[in-house]
Amino acid sequence: MLRHVVGQSARILDTNLVCASTNLQFVRWRRKPRWLPVAKSKRFLVPERKPQDSDERLELLRLHNNYRTQLRSVTSYLMKEAEVNRKTSTADHLVLTPEQEEAEFQKCVAENEAWNAKIAQEREARLQKEAAEREAYVARKLEEARIKQEEERERIEEIVRLEKERSRSYITKENLDAAIDHALANPVDHNFAIDLQGNIYRGRDAGPSKPGEKSAEQAALTSGS
Amino acid sequence: MPSYELALVLRQMARPELVSTLKRTAESILDKGGIIRKIENMGQQNLPYKISVHGQVHKVGNMFTIEFDSAPTQIDDLAEEYSRDIDIIRKNIFKVEQPPEIKCTLHEELLPPAYRKEVQEMVRIGQKKQKKKFNYNSGLDYYPFQK
Repeated sequence: MLRHVVGQSARILDTNLVCASTNLQFVRWRRKPRWLPVAKSKRFLVPERKPQDSDERLELLRLHNNYRTQLRSVTSYLMKEAEVNRKTSTADHLVLTPEQEEAEFQKCVAENEAWNAKIAQEREARLQKEAAEREAYVARKLEEARIKQEEERERIEEIVRLEKERSRSYITKENLDAAIDHALANPVDHNFAIDLQGNIYRGRDAGPSKPGEKSAEQAALTSGS
Repeated sequence: MPSYELALVLRQMARPELVSTLKRTAESILDKGGIIRKIENMGQQNLPYKISVHGQVHKVGNMFTIEFDSAPTQIDDLAEEYSRDIDIIRKNIFKVEQPPEIKCTLHEELLPPAYRKEVQEMVRIGQKKQKKKFNYNSGLDYYPFQK
């Protein structure tokens, strides 16, 4: 019987879905769960050791000894060869005279300096371009701000001008009595009605005007539309 | 100073009293540093319903509006002062705001749906919300193998 080691997967086995799984092992306990201790009747039982055949044992010993000897011989041969190789080969390190080393170093320095000069040139150009862009941006923003400020000032001045004009008609303590008298003498009525023809009927209790007679509002409305 | 409009309903009374009430009302605005632009009289009218204030029942009122400018901090004081005046039945102070500029877009709204801007926007949003489908890169518009 095949059963999964993990309990949850063991349940999957029952539905025959475990075939793809790799974590399998043969389980030999079928009547007793794993966590139960050794049965009382078997607690002190020492299994008898099966005697080995002496000839067979000697033969196995001989074969093992042979194998180990051969392996050790091959290993030591390879190690010796590697040691010789390591001592004679110059593959992993350069053998240079001090003059050659100095020349190599100078060559590296020169190449490095050339690279640095090239990159410095590029950086200079880039920084100049960025500075110019930034300058243009700042100038544009300043100009925009100036225009905006001017517009704002004009707008405010317009408001002030209008208010100054209106200030002549302000009601002050001096002409308050006159204004009140004027208001009481002239009641106003903002109510109006409008029909589908665009006729406007002013006043709270206004009725339709006579046919053919157009009010000024209606004329304005019809010409506007 | 923002512009305000004071709508007043005064009780029914004789003209001299009316004048003195209006003067009192206007002067309290002027005393608080306000500017009066206009005083309008809507005439004496029947009230839409019985109003009982200051221990009296009113059925008729004199309607007035006062357009004025004042500091916003003074508005509450003015309202409180008018609410104590027994000649005033009702008062309300409105802030005058510029009416919003409305552009007529009827000709756009009458277009067929596909040409309307808001419908196009809705279609764009709907397409954006659609889930991306996996592309097999096979050059075919169907899946060639059994699924």
